[in-house]
Amino acid sequence: MIRFLIRRILLGIFVLFGVSLITFLIARVIPSEPAARWIGPRATAEQIAAAKVELGLNQPLFMQYINYIKGLFTGDWGVSITSHQPVLKELLIFLPSSLEIILGGMLIALIVGIPLGVLTAVYKETWIDHLSRGISIGGVSIPAFWLAMILQLIFYQYLGWFPLGERVSTETALLYPIETITGSNLIDSAVQGNWVYFSDALNHSILPMLTMAAFPLGVVTRMTRSSMLEVVGEEYMRVTKAFGFSSGVRTFKYALKNAMGPTITSLGLTFAYALTTTFLIESVFTWPGLGLYTSNAILSSDYPVIMGVTIFVTAAYLIVNLLVDITLAILDPRIKVNVE
Amino acid sequence: MNTKHKPWYAIVLVSLFLLLSACSNDKPAKEADTAAEGQPAGGIAVYGSHDDIMTFWDPSDSYSNEIIAMNNMYETLLRYDTKDESFKNILAETYNVSDDGLTWTFTLRKDVKFHTGNDLTAEAAKASIERTIERGKGAAFIWDPVEEINAKDTHTLEFKLSYPAALDTIVSSGYAAFIFDAAAAEENGGEEWFNEGNSAGTGPYSPEKWDRGSQLILDSFDEYWGEWEADQYQKVVFKTIQEANTRLQMAKGGELQFVSQLPNELIKSVEEADGVSVHETESFQQLVMMFNTEAGPLKDSKVRQALAYAIPYDNIIQDVLGNTATQSFGSIPAGLWGHDSSLHQYNQDLDKAKQLLEEAGVDGGELTLTYVSSDEEERQIAELLKIELAKIGFELELKGMLWDAQWDMSKATNPEERQDILLMYWWPDYADPYSFMKNLYASEDEIVFNLAYYKNEQYDQLVDEAQEVAGVDRDKAIELYKQAQQILVEEVPGLSLYDRKYIRVINDSFGGYEDNPAYPNVVFFHDTYKK
Repeated sequence: MIRFLIRRILLGIFVLFGVSLITFLIARVIPSEPAARWIGPRATAEQIAAAKVELGLNQPLFMQYINYIKGLFTGDWGVSITSHQPVLKELLIFLPSSLEIILGGMLIALIVGIPLGVLTAVYKETWIDHLSRGISIGGVSIPAFWLAMILQLIFYQYLGWFPLGERVSTETALLYPIETITGSNLIDSAVQGNWVYFSDALNHSILPMLTMAAFPLGVVTRMTRSSMLEVVGEEYMRVTKAFGFSSGVRTFKYALKNAMGPTITSLGLTFAYALTTTFLIESVFTWPGLGLYTSNAILSSDYPVIMGVTIFVTAAYLIVNLLVDITLAILDPRIKVNVE
Repeated sequence: MNTKHKPWYAIVLVSLFLLLSACSNDKPAKEADTAAEGQPAGGIAVYGSHDDIMTFWDPSDSYSNEIIAMNNMYETLLRYDTKDESFKNILAETYNVSDDGLTWTFTLRKDVKFHTGNDLTAEAAKASIERTIERGKGAAFIWDPVEEINAKDTHTLEFKLSYPAALDTIVSSGYAAFIFDAAAAEENGGEEWFNEGNSAGTGPYSPEKWDRGSQLILDSFDEYWGEWEADQYQKVVFKTIQEANTRLQMAKGGELQFVSQLPNELIKSVEEADGVSVHETESFQQLVMMFNTEAGPLKDSKVRQALAYAIPYDNIIQDVLGNTATQSFGSIPAGLWGHDSSLHQYNQDLDKAKQLLEEAGVDGGELTLTYVSSDEEERQIAELLKIELAKIGFELELKGMLWDAQWDMSKATNPEERQDILLMYWWPDYADPYSFMKNLYASEDEIVFNLAYYKNEQYDQLVDEAQEVAGVDRDKAIELYKQAQQILVEEVPGLSLYDRKYIRVINDSFGGYEDNPAYPNVVFFHDTYKK
């Protein structure tokens, strides 16, 4: 297990280096002058020259990369060209609100997806199965930004149940303010016992979370269904039937537990997908998170930010996959034997 | 928040709140302040912007979108009013200029307090401008004519200039001319302190809460020198809403009082909606075509004139811009002093264009046009130009680029490597035609803004003289600028295609709003009220 972990971590570091090198080179190859962007459209030649020195752009490319890598390890991820603020500091400001809808969406996907997957396996080829298939395929194939707008149209425009966007309403932010602790409005307001704020923040986060949940919900449901069908056909399941266990015990205790492996793996993969989907969802819902921060950076060609986010997303993807593998190894003794 | 119907989850939420509330003893909710006499009680005004509202908080450095909020937190000595092309006193009670135009004396208001609690004095005003000049960031260059600033007494501020520039236009600038409590700001940590969301201004509103990338909430300043009426807004919220459709829906839903910009294609649906209306106003923004006067076929002014006659002005304004612009007269936009609608305006006349090319002995050729790739309108205009210029024999190569790359190419050492035509938007840093006339077309040894590479001694003299007399004899300056513009019309080193209009969507309950293009996209919320 330890050898497996070391191997995965080393491989992860190698991937991170590769990604950092590629993003760094792309940022330098694109015809652009970061020093001019630093000063603004009306920069003079002297101001641009001074900015080059300030940003270290007067050094050889190789040295710039070495300095960048050094910085990654010491917490200096560069400075945003548009805001002149440290990239890491800004990333940490915007991350919690993205995590809020990503984790919320994943939670919805798990809570709804697993029971739905089990149901469809149990009631194979019935209307429940067909309906679930429709929901799953829709969830996976409908573009997130389109779904977001449709949900806005139905739940804001026609029904008036949920707000159009933003994290909390202006009135609540003004009349029932909270202190920022974690950056997650839901957690911060709950910790401070500010339930007016909490309910408003929850109300605002429902539509973004539902949009975020669509893709993982489809994946989790289909994965659970196919794994369940596979497991149900195993010899030992027939034995449990012979022993006279009830249908519920057989499904949830013996079948589902063994069918969870592929579901957990796919959930890890969908987390990475969620990190990029959030770019579109945040834009539609005016949700000030990592996605909105990155899309602004892309629009203004803020390379230090784009590079910082790319490295962050890569690292998050690697870590989540590593955690998934470890979880699987813990859940399934056969995997542990194989890796060791 | 819209609560037309109760959703199913409300039951679950209510149960959850009751349960959780039972665990909580303190009640964070506070009642809305009851307005005292002479205090605003108009509620909250919300401004919807497509871009992040705050980038730089330091009033010395601010040179971007943040002026929208900054002009409500900070004030200048004067403010330019485009309606009657005059200057309004803001922090200055009176001002006068010496006969030689080199000494300007401002008497400051005596009842003004900074948000820091300190009084406005001439010494404080001097310190704030000197700090801006010393930092040399953003638009600090506007103070170039100022040689010396003196605090003659507690409320008398004197400027000594190196030449008789129009200081009234400079002190009224929306960038780099804010008066603030520099001493207190520096004591607290200077730029860092500002960037934490603090203000040291004298404006009617001060920052209450800033959620980066999301919203900025300003609160009315109790000790503001201007009077407060009951129907004025207590709080002003600037929201960043990137999606145009979301901005539109929120405006229709009454959640926004003011939307600064919407794409043309969405405007139609606002016109038909209840509770909101569309306001169209002039801006100082011009789309400028700069011709390469140093190399290639456009060295010849006849060829440039031919191009000016080949441009489909009406198609651009009607089809691309949906009539949200008007064709420019000369190089100074409407509303800015010096604008002259008697100047010759080119129209599309392909026969005339061909005749001019024949006179020049040029039989078409290849031209490169650069534009900012992220601007869809510029792209469409470039495509139209490609079609029309082909009719007079020019093949146009279109290059959509990032603005910094576009500028980089325009400053190539070898003139042959530069573009033939460059499209860009231009607007003044302060209400002075100097920004258009001097920056864009006056001779430069090192290329800065004159991307036409135009050199004309007579033109330079006229513009320099206009700038020098602008402070003491505005009418003469206007006449000189007119003569300079006539040279531009004849020689066409560049061409202003159109003056852009601002399209605002405004809630019907939002009163008192008047657009002032000298301060792009700024709403002076103290002038507005709830109807």
